[in-house]
Amino acid sequence: MKDIFTNLYNKVIGFFQAEKGDSSKVIASNRLKLVLMHDRTNLDTFTMQKMREQLIKVISKYIEIDQEALDLNLEGEGDAIALMLNIPVIRARTMEEIEAIEKAEEEEMAQKALEANEESKDDETENSSDDCENLDDDTENEENNENDESNDCEEQNESDKENTKADKKLKSKQPQN
Amino acid sequence: MTGRVIVITSGKGGVGKTTTSANIGTALAKSGAKVVLIDTDIGLRNLDLLLGLENRIVYTLVDVVEERCKLKQALVKDKKNPNLCLLAAAQTRDKTAVSAEQLKEICEELQEDYDFILVDCPAGIEHGFQTAISGASEAIVVTTPEMSAVRDADRIIGLLEAKEEIKSYKLLVNRVRPNLIKANDMMSVDEVVDILSCNLIGVIPEDTGIITSTNRGEPIVNDENSLAGKAYKNVALRILGEEVPFLDIDEPHGVIDKIKHFFSKIKAKA
Repeated sequence: MKDIFTNLYNKVIGFFQAEKGDSSKVIASNRLKLVLMHDRTNLDTFTMQKMREQLIKVISKYIEIDQEALDLNLEGEGDAIALMLNIPVIRARTMEEIEAIEKAEEEEMAQKALEANEESKDDETENSSDDCENLDDDTENEENNENDESNDCEEQNESDKENTKADKKLKSKQPQN
Repeated sequence: MTGRVIVITSGKGGVGKTTTSANIGTALAKSGAKVVLIDTDIGLRNLDLLLGLENRIVYTLVDVVEERCKLKQALVKDKKNPNLCLLAAAQTRDKTAVSAEQLKEICEELQEDYDFILVDCPAGIEHGFQTAISGASEAIVVTTPEMSAVRDADRIIGLLEAKEEIKSYKLLVNRVRPNLIKANDMMSVDEVVDILSCNLIGVIPEDTGIITSTNRGEPIVNDENSLAGKAYKNVALRILGEEVPFLDIDEPHGVIDKIKHFFSKIKAKA
């Protein structure tokens, strides 16, 4: 008996409530507002994605967040436009964790600086690389003989390999974006 | 006498620029003003059809620009209303046949003898649009309550804002279907106005009479019984400076609609 009444009540209420949450009008209006916001600010999806990634990186340093559920959108009323960032927080990081991340970051920076240095070195040594190869052939017979020049050459080859690895990583990452 | 030059534009095609131009022009002429309609949709002219003047056109806008005739010779008088003239577009040429400077000169010349110069703009934002707005100081942006039309209208408004010569622009929401709005399947006029944040000059309901009036070559404002005709007449009155309330096509009419309206208001508050 109770079920019948609640059913009837719901039907009556449903009939009189004209505003449906997912009516096509509401969908159209929301989609339009979003697209106009992007049109007006000239921010394309690629730039937004890039910004999103960098924001995630900075924020994750201090708090653990749900990266999938992070919501970054432009919203506006009238002429004013706001950047709305909605981040579901899992937990705050401890001081130790933050320090560890900072340390890792510093190391990464140092590594990058080193790589950049070596790259510029590569450019410099490009002209002399022919000589280096010749030297390599010469030293093959006397492996124990370690002079500075052949060392340089090996290092250079290694860093080249690293560079190509990094390139491959980048390439494999791109489609995911 | 310096007439007002008003461009009727939209960005998107098919929203009713030409119908709006024909009807506002006719309504203004009926009220006693001297009006020239200029069709700048070169290559795709249609304003002559809507006015029923297609058989009377001898010279076009391009003939005037290329000095094959005088401006006055190219103006075609309306069948019914001697206050209304049409300067037709050429059908065999393209938009590049007339430059912005040339149209501006023509508008300036017409301003001396006429109260209103209405420029019917082609769709798009390219050369044709830039030419059409060149002589105007006012604009009417036509849109419909559909996403694509509203988005294009927003783009047009941005371009009009960037143009110093355009002193004011107003929005005309065309092809409004009250039944769809009531069923929550179409954006309401208020929502469109809110999204575009632009002043409203008219709301025109969808009317099958538009099709038959186009068939006959007679603007719908001549039909006293048509709701769309009435709405266009009100737009003309607003252009003339009168304050006319907007036709109530969004408001609920029946008892059940009113109750629904009441409930939805409660829900909105909660």
